This record gives sequence, C-alpha cells and structure tokens, in this order.
Amino acid sequence: MSSKILLVEDDARIRASLRLALEDEGYEVDEAGAGEEALERFADQPADVVLIDLMLPGMDGFECCRQLRRSSAVPVIMVTARTDTHDVVAGLEAGADDYVTKPFVAKELAARIRALLRRARPVDEPSVLAFGDIEVRPDEGTVRRGGEEIHCTRTEFRLLCELAVSPGRVLSREQLLDRVWGYDYFGDGRLVDVHIRRLRTKIEADPANPRHIQTVRGMGYKLVV
Amino acid sequence: MTRALAWRRPWGRLGLRARVTVTFGLGALLLSTAMATITYFTARQFFVREREDAILRQAYVNASLARSTLRSTGVDVTQLLASLDTVPGSLSVLELHEQWYSTSISVDRDAIPLALRTLVVSGTPATQQFDLGTTPEFVVGIPLPSVSAAYFEVFTLDELARTLRILALALTGAALVTTIGGTITGRWASGRALRPLADVSRAAQEIARGGLDTRLTPADDPDLTPLAASFNEMADALQERIEREVRFTSDVSHELRSPLTTATTALEVLEAHAQSMSARSRQALALLTAELRRFRRMVDDLLEISRVDTGAAELSLEEVEVGELMRQAAAAVGAGEVPVEVDQRVAGTRLWVDKRRIERVVANLVANAEQYAGGVTRLAVEPAPAGVRLVVADRGPGIPAGERDRIFERFYRGQSAGSRGVTEGSGLGLSLVSEHVRLHGGRVWAESGTHGEHRFVVELPIDRPPPGARADEPAGVPDEVSRPVPGDGGEDTPDESAAPVAAAGERARRR
Repeated sequence: MSSKILLVEDDARIRASLRLALEDEGYEVDEAGAGEEALERFADQPADVVLIDLMLPGMDGFECCRQLRRSSAVPVIMVTARTDTHDVVAGLEAGADDYVTKPFVAKELAARIRALLRRARPVDEPSVLAFGDIEVRPDEGTVRRGGEEIHCTRTEFRLLCELAVSPGRVLSREQLLDRVWGYDYFGDGRLVDVHIRRLRTKIEADPANPRHIQTVRGMGYKLVV
Repeated sequence: MTRALAWRRPWGRLGLRARVTVTFGLGALLLSTAMATITYFTARQFFVREREDAILRQAYVNASLARSTLRSTGVDVTQLLASLDTVPGSLSVLELHEQWYSTSISVDRDAIPLALRTLVVSGTPATQQFDLGTTPEFVVGIPLPSVSAAYFEVFTLDELARTLRILALALTGAALVTTIGGTITGRWASGRALRPLADVSRAAQEIARGGLDTRLTPADDPDLTPLAASFNEMADALQERIEREVRFTSDVSHELRSPLTTATTALEVLEAHAQSMSARSRQALALLTAELRRFRRMVDDLLEISRVDTGAAELSLEEVEVGELMRQAAAAVGAGEVPVEVDQRVAGTRLWVDKRRIERVVANLVANAEQYAGGVTRLAVEPAPAGVRLVVADRGPGIPAGERDRIFERFYRGQSAGSRGVTEGSGLGLSLVSEHVRLHGGRVWAESGTHGEHRFVVELPIDRPPPGARADEPAGVPDEVSRPVPGDGGEDTPDESAAPVAAAGERARRR
C-alpha cells in the first residue's frame, strides 16, 4: 500500500510538477489549492503526510496547520519562503514537524517524507515508560498525565520516547535530529528546540521552569525523573 | 551632475566656532577699551578741574590776607607766611622787594619755574603745572602790586595722580574682564547656535550607517525649522528610493521562486526518465539542469543579499568552538579532506556566531578557490588582536592588489577571472561573504601570503556571551530563537553542536 500525501499549494503548476515527482517516488498524491479545501479533503480522506505552503490565499498555512493539528497528529511539512526568519519557528510552533524552503528539490522533499513516515511506525521499546505523573506507552502511542491522555504529534511523541528511554542521559540536538527526524547530517537545530518547547507545554506543570525535560547548557537535553 | 557647495573661508583654516569666538572677544575688547578710555578722561578732567578750583580759591584768599597784612608796618614776613591757612602739601612763597620768603626750606624761589616767576613779578597772575622731582606740582602766582610783592602758592598733585592711577588700573582690569567675558559668551553662543548643525551631522552619519529612518526632530525655533524640514525631506526621498530598489530586487527574486520550483521539479521528473530519451535529448537535459542549478543559486543569493539590504536579516547566534566551526563548515562543503590547522593560541576558543552564515562564508570562499585558483590547499584558524581569523588558502594566481577590494562587489568579475567558462557561481558569492561577515561585526580581505600562497582572511570578533543567554531555556516565544541583527542576543539551546551546521533548507541549495 502506498502512502498518501496531501499537497496544499495554491500554484497549480507547482502542484502538477510535484504530483509527477512524488508519484515517481511511489506516493499517492492528493491536492488542495487552499487551506479550507485542504481541511475538508483531509476530513474526508486522511493522508499520511501533509505538505503545506505557508503563503496561501485566504486561510494561511499557519492557520491551516493549527486547524489540522486539532484533529490529527499527521506529520506536516511546511513550505517556507526563507530559512532564517520567524516563518520557520512560527511554522514549527503552529505544529509542523519539518520544513523545506522554496525553491526546493523534489528528491530532498521525498527524502524528508520518507523519514517522517519511517519514524511514524512503532519501534520496539519497553511497553511503559513512566516518570513523575507521566506515563508513556510507546506500543500504544499514548501519553498520559495523571491518568489523563495528552495529545501529542508523532514527532513530539518520538522525541519524548527518545528522552524517556534513557533518563538522566544527555542527548545532543544532533543525536535527537538523527533519531527523531532521521537526518544524519543536515538538520536544523531549531526543529529540536521548538519541539522540546511544545512538548514542555504539554507535559510540564510549569513549562517556563521545566522539571522533567531539562536543558543542559552547551550539551543538549535530558529527561529527569 | 555633482556640485559641491563651497564655503567661503576668509579666515583661512579657522573654524566657524573659533571665528565667532574671536569676533566676540575682539568686539568686547574694543568696546570695553573705548568705554574705559572715555571714563578715564572724563573722570580725570573732572577731578583736575575740581582740584584747580579749590587751589585757586585758597591761593586768592591767602594772597589777599598777605596783602592786607603787608599794608601795616613792621611785619614779620616769615610769621605772616606761617599764619596763612594752607592745606597739607601746599607751600607758600612770597616775594617782597625782591626778597624771597618761603614756608619750607626745601622749596624756595628756584623751585618755581622761571617763566611763571617773571610773568607774575611783572604783574600778571598765572598758574602752571610742573614736576618737582617725581611729584606733579601746581603753582599759582598772584602779583600784589599795591604792596610791591608777589604771592606764590605751590600745591602737590601727588594724591590726585595716585587716584587717577588707581582709576586707570581699575578700568583696565574691567576692560580685561569684559574681554574674557565676551570671548566666553562667544564660545558658548556659537556652540549653542551650532548645536542644530551637530544634530544634522549626527543624523547624516546615522543615515550613512544604514539607519535610513533617522529624522531630525522639528525645532520650535522658526530659524531652524526650514533646516530640519529640508533635511527630513531629503532623508525621506533617499529612504524611499533605496527601499524601492531593495524591494524591487526582493520582489523579483520572490516572484522567481514559484516558476523555479516548478521548473526544478519538472526537470527532476525528466531526469528520472532520462533512460528513455535519445542521447541528444539527454545532453540538452543536462544543460538545462546545470543552468537551472546556477539560476537557483543566483535567486537564492539575490534573496539573501536583499534580505541584508532590507534589514530583514536575522542572526541565529550559537556558541561554537572555533576549530570545530571551521571543520564542520569545510566538511559541509565537501572540503573535508583539506587539513584544518588550528593555532594553539585559539584552540578551544568559543564564538557566538550564526553557523549557517559562517558556513556559507567558508563555502563561498572554498567555491571561489575552486573556480579561480584550482582549489583550496589549506584551511586555518589563527589568532587576531581582538578575535580569530578563519583562513582559506590556495595556490592559484592570486588577486591583483588593485582588485582586492572590488572582488567583494556584486557581480564583479575581475581581469583574472577571464572568460566565464563553466562558471557555477552566481556572481554574488564574495559579496555575500562580506555581508555575512559584516553582520557578525567582522571583516574579510584577500592577501598574498608567503611561498606563493594566496589567502582570504575572515576576522571575527570574540564577543562576550549575549545577555539573553540563561541557564535554562525560556518559555517558547519565537523571538528568542532568532534575533534581529545586530543580534547580541542568543538562543538558549544546547550549543555543543556536533554535526549539523546547515539549516535544513540549505541542503537543496548545495546539491
């Protein structure tokens, strides 16, 4: 069964060319020209990965991503205009898992999609990881805090698992990029930072003064039980 | 047309402020001297006349007393003189039947000037001022023909002279004080008057440094309002023009991206099916691919440079070890086999840099060396007076001294670059290098080293850690991750980054 990708892009020619390229890579491609349309389509026929251009007419890409996140943990890749602005961070904050910059190369995009799909699959880990009032079940893909389920995206969940598997051990941003995103070399540390931040708002009692997910200055992050 | 407004400088090299000061000083000197002189002479005339009147009155009283006394017989002349009422410092001299009598031994007939003596004896009353020794004296001679005598009275003007001397001294002092006061006033007033000019100069400097929205605060002073208004008008026009140009570049590059994305993607699809094409088609496809790659790089570079121009560039600062930074940058651009020599004095030095930009800097310098100098031979990190130097060296022909500054200009192609050949560069590589380095507060230059080595040197300052850096990561606000230039802020994230140096989007760019 081939994975399905939803392309949210207002430029019809870019959509057409991406469809050709991604179909060559063996994916099934669905298209939407606007944010509203994308949400409808996704509700009808959920995709495995959603690609959202931030610059959309009407509802912009950030809003589209946020709305999508309310109902789904589907991996989202956003297409940004530039790499060094707030766009990247804002897009990640809106719930995106990764980003590419226009003009991008389809092979590169396909590689990222592959990485997202690969890590979205369950891995063999202890059935329950617990710390504080948090309980993580890797096999079920659930996180509970005080018995109540917390909704995490797949990337957040993977990140939490990586940290929780070896409590007390410091993991560098590069290690996390490698393990969670599947990038062995090229990766943006901001991906890790923003996801850690999002994770903290979900599992920490006081996200500004985190108890469990701590920053180790100059080294990385670690989980404290 | 260039037209310089020349200022007339009649006083040679003296500045405006100095000239105003000198004018005030000279004016004060002239005025106070004139006032003092007039005061002195008026006062002197008054004092002298007053004194002379008093002297004459007394002399006549004494003369008439002497006459009435001499009319009676058997008079002791000496006693008569002694009985005369004289003020201190005045002496009486009497001539009677050609005999001279005096109240003082020191003053006698000879003390009185001969001309006056003769005149008075012959019957004409007279006065004369003369000097006896060093003291000024005033003599009054009154003939007394009815008793065949002449009465002289000699007054010393010593006290008057002293008074006048003190007056002169006081007036000179006052004139001097006034002159100094005038000079100080001139200095202060010119400083005040020039303050608006200093504001203009500061604003102009600010604009030249890139603060295009700098304006002068409109003054309340009606004399200065036109200056501020015309200056601001000029700044408005300048800003609008620059921003329009920069926006144009940025818009063009942005607009190019969508078709470029389509073209790149479609071309990739074609490449994937290249096997089914004829050899000629494949050749054409290869040309298209290569050229599109260059085109994309050009758009990327244009965008990056226009971001710097519009001031939208932001530094994402991280703390990195300098040797590691260089090794990672080299590895990322495929120059991993080139040795990186780190000077012992800077080994372990940590810098706050935007890794993506510094990596671009090294990448562009390496690419430049590959393009024009047969490749990089050595990468080095060396100490600098207030920072570190990243050195990218080659053994190529080098850059002529006259071109070393111009190579950092946009789209500059030097003599040595020759024909374009199969250039991969955008023509913006070195200017981007210089912009990135400048954003970090550093500088870059080309130089000829020893043993036929030519090198590009990037000097980066060692900054103290940004004040924003704290022990733990602050709650998530996007602003804390990337900061606007000049960005002395930093992100509070793990800094000891091992491998990834490029932002994710960079990967596509370097393929």
